[in-house]
Amino acid sequence: MPDNPPIPVADLSRAPLPTEAMQRYRRNPVVQTWKFAVFNARIMRMVLKGKH
Amino acid sequence: MSDVVILGAGISGHTAALHLSRLLGRQHRITVVSPNSNWNWIPSNIWVGVGKMSKKDVVFPLAPIYRRKGIEFVQAKAVAIRPHGDADSERPAVDIVHTSAAGAGREQRIRYDYLINATGPQLRFGATEGLGPEHGNTVSVCTADHAIAASERLHEVIDKCRAGEHQTLVVGMGHGTCTCEGAAFEYVFNVDNELREAGVRDMARVVYLTNESELGDFGVGGMTFNDKGFQTTSELWTASLFRERGVEAVLGAHVERVEPGTVHFETLDGEHHSLAYDFAMLLPPFSGVPLAAYDRDGTDITSGLFAPSGFMKVDADYSGKPYEQWSAADWPKTYQAQGFDNIWAVGIAFAPPHQISRPRTSANGTPITPSPPRTGMPSGVMGKTVALTIADRISKGPMAVAHQASMADMGAACVASAGANLRTGSAAAMTMMPVVPDYSRYPTGRDLRETRGELGLSGHWVKLMLHHLFIYKAKGLPGWHLIPE
Ligand SMILES: Cc1cc2nc3c(=O)[nH]c(=O)nc-3n(C[C@H](O)[C@H](O)[C@H](O)COP(=O)(O)OP(=O)(O)OC[C@H]3O[C@@H](n4cnc5c(N)ncnc54)[C@H](O)[C@@H]3O)c2cc1C
Repeated sequence: MPDNPPIPVADLSRAPLPTEAMQRYRRNPVVQTWKFAVFNARIMRMVLKGKH
Repeated sequence: MSDVVILGAGISGHTAALHLSRLLGRQHRITVVSPNSNWNWIPSNIWVGVGKMSKKDVVFPLAPIYRRKGIEFVQAKAVAIRPHGDADSERPAVDIVHTSAAGAGREQRIRYDYLINATGPQLRFGATEGLGPEHGNTVSVCTADHAIAASERLHEVIDKCRAGEHQTLVVGMGHGTCTCEGAAFEYVFNVDNELREAGVRDMARVVYLTNESELGDFGVGGMTFNDKGFQTTSELWTASLFRERGVEAVLGAHVERVEPGTVHFETLDGEHHSLAYDFAMLLPPFSGVPLAAYDRDGTDITSGLFAPSGFMKVDADYSGKPYEQWSAADWPKTYQAQGFDNIWAVGIAFAPPHQISRPRTSANGTPITPSPPRTGMPSGVMGKTVALTIADRISKGPMAVAHQASMADMGAACVASAGANLRTGSAAAMTMMPVVPDYSRYPTGRDLRETRGELGLSGHWVKLMLHHLFIYKAKGLPGWHLIPE
């Protein structure tokens, strides 16, 4: 790795980290199938709501 | 018979062409002029850029589709518009230069009754010294070929990590006024994923270098999300993802120049910095493609049709009022060019009236501020809207009311995937409604019911589904028009 002088990297130490339960939720096929359906429904609703 | 000429066969122009072929009978001529023989589903270039997809997965030839749809295809680039015609005829015309292998360089003037400018962005790598894959020291994912080169370079770096060498990878924006932060955001997490899959994440420092003053700005001034009963911000949501993946973020940065292996940048506080890198994917700033405009007598009227940025002026408010005074109503609704009722500009080709993200300059006066994005979904909607207007004008007469689709009324989805595996893939999926915030209708500028950010496997499925659906649609296969833009 090249030697680097310090650069102003944003301090993200206060950003929330997901819990293990949240990580499992993000990978759970049943939950994610539901989320998939909800996301698509939302896109369709946006398309219908958009005045065009 | 009417002649409709469409300049550009990208997301907006191709959508317009397909709808016009559906709406108009074969007695009218639809001509698409575009320099590339292929259509490219640009959002999936990200996957090409990490080697998860090949070029043939994201491009296909346009000519067979246009033949099937009765659309004339001319492989050429437009160079000038003559909206009042020329000395020979008062019929408006476009000057084009052929780009196909057979006819390269041949000049031609084609006449039109209706013109759609859907020429997208000019990739201005030249705005930053040393930027870009052709004459510079960085890679890009803006085209499928750029993405292939990016993937090759990425895998060289991964091989070095495997050999025990620590590597620094920089992904982000190559200039202070870039747009398309969503693409760089998506690419950085695909790179992170690639390094993890190769088992070398600990050997790599990954830095996201952006002109956004806050994470999660995305050129739209950030978003407010409703999350389990709390209002939260896209900044917090995005920061969480960066922290979780160990990606460092440098904010408010204007890349000044790129030397082989070192990127030099200025930050909003006016300080200058240098970062040595082994791999750098930095997006270029965009302008309009070079198009001139001439009057019948040859007088140059380019500045009447185009903003200094090269984007076409449409039915928007370009009075240049202060940022604090702009409103959603300033954004275009019909995309009709100023002063002409038979020219439209859609997708990236139209000139936005003002910044969505707050304009900022560094302590030295350097503008460091994301330009407004015009992403795929709105670009497609604009193409369809203008096709509907033209079809009405042809069938009902010139007074037919123009169809409308303001970015202050329409939503957009940005799905930034990380990884392309059906079981282990993940994505940050965002929806926003409307794209241009409207504070007169929503306290947070956007509809909280539709403006959401979610992380998880389902977002990856959405991205994959969109890839297949939009390629199906773009091929004009049965039922294509039932798939929304
Ligand atoms: C890497 C990357 C990832 C992206 N990911 C997403 C995403 O996930 N979701 C999303 O919504 N958006 C995404 N975008 C943005 C999206 O690709 C653009 O919003 C969209 O392509 C804009 O459509 P357009 O028709 O205006 O321009 P383009 O699609 O760029 O099409 C412009 C067309 O004009 C042609 N042309 C150029 N010059 C001339 C000329 N002189 N004469 C005639 N024709 C000309 C070009 O060859 C091209 O065919 C991404 C962009 C990039 C670069």
